[in-house]
Amino acid sequence: MHLTRFRLNTARSGARRLLSSPRTMHAAVMNAFPDVLPTDTDTPRVLWRVDRNAKAEVFLYIVSPAKPDLTHVVEQAGWKERPNWQTYDYGPFLERLAEGHTWAFRLTANPVHSIRRKDGEPTKVTAHVTPRHQAQWLLQRQEAAGFRVLEKPEDQRLLPEGDEHELLVHDRRSNAFDKPEHQPAATANGKRKNRVSLVTATFDGRLEVVDPEALRRTLTRGLGRAKAYGCGLMTLAPAE
Amino acid sequence: MSALMLQLAGPLQAWGSAARFARRTTENAPTKSGVIGLLAAAQGRDRTQDLSDLTALDFGVRIDQPGTRVRDYQTAHHLDTDRSMPVSERFYLADAVFVAAVAGDDALIDRLHEAVRAPVYLPYLGRRSCPPARPVDLGLRSGTGVHEALESEEWRASTWYQRRLRREAAVSLPLLVDAVAGDTRADSRRDTPLSFDPLHRRYALRGVRTHTVEVANPWARGPAAPEHDPTSLLGGD
Repeated sequence: MHLTRFRLNTARSGARRLLSSPRTMHAAVMNAFPDVLPTDTDTPRVLWRVDRNAKAEVFLYIVSPAKPDLTHVVEQAGWKERPNWQTYDYGPFLERLAEGHTWAFRLTANPVHSIRRKDGEPTKVTAHVTPRHQAQWLLQRQEAAGFRVLEKPEDQRLLPEGDEHELLVHDRRSNAFDKPEHQPAATANGKRKNRVSLVTATFDGRLEVVDPEALRRTLTRGLGRAKAYGCGLMTLAPAE
Repeated sequence: MSALMLQLAGPLQAWGSAARFARRTTENAPTKSGVIGLLAAAQGRDRTQDLSDLTALDFGVRIDQPGTRVRDYQTAHHLDTDRSMPVSERFYLADAVFVAAVAGDDALIDRLHEAVRAPVYLPYLGRRSCPPARPVDLGLRSGTGVHEALESEEWRASTWYQRRLRREAAVSLPLLVDAVAGDTRADSRRDTPLSFDPLHRRYALRGVRTHTVEVANPWARGPAAPEHDPTSLLGGD
């Protein structure tokens, strides 16, 4: 496995075009793998995420089985003279993960649940929109994903309930765009067909490794839905 | 000793202490005479009635939202005769919010609390044309003086004002309380009412001490995202 970091040159219009549409970014990321054809169905997952740390500090992270070639992204959204991306071998780090270790993590995900509004209606996938529900969504999945979000000491909690964990939900966005293969056509009720609505949230926090094998799977296969659109990639960093 | 808390919020307020004749100015915060007048009116006292029990109360006010000063150049005419009134210049505080507290003997404070909840004459914010926009009564705080009661009161500013200051987790508010004997750094203000008699209003000097108190901002923005660099753990290519 490989982890790649690409710094986007936000002064270029190509970078703005990529950042404004998860669909365009997905295409650009997938085109970085010459051996993966669009019709391949059983290829391992490629995950990506955009970190907007500051206006001019925007990184694209990619976790993939093969090394990407991002030359075409450099041409649109990079710098001419300098190499813009570094690819690191992810395998040794993943092998070192062991039970009981603590890490700082970041995850951008698409927290959803299935609900029905009245009895008898088929359930419908619906986004969690409040930070509290979004945090709850992650906490429900932590066990299966092989980690445990650390709990805060009592004296640092700011709320009587809902603030028990070292977890911050930020950079919540909602995005809507049309799928490429169909022209946007309005239906009778005014809703556009093939419209993708996406609510994303970024989680920052600290975790303890519970099941290294499951966590390896989470880090390489992703967590939650909308993985094509920049969701589900979790990365670890040293916990200070 | 208990304290009665009052919320003074409205589109316009006017609290004059040195306002005479045609130029009606306003202070930045409610005056003791204004609030004592409001309480005496709530109890239904006459203009000429004795006020000494009310003026003996401890008084303090906190500026939760300072508001802006607006000036009105007023050329009113008499409603029936259409004779012009003296041209007057009136100053108001627009969009201000204050919390005032009076403290003293429990029995008297209880009676005032009853009166504020069921006032004989309706309360107004310093000038008859300035009605309160929110309930004036904020309840009793038993066993505390003015200073402690105002210090522990939550921030009463409007939501839009609190959100505007969302970068600050705690806001410091000016607090103006009666000076105690021997206070050398007090200002003086002529706003202790001795008589509201329309024929001969009289006010005495009052020492005012200014403090600041910190209150939490419920709209404060959450903590910023920490730095995150997953590549720091990994070797080169």
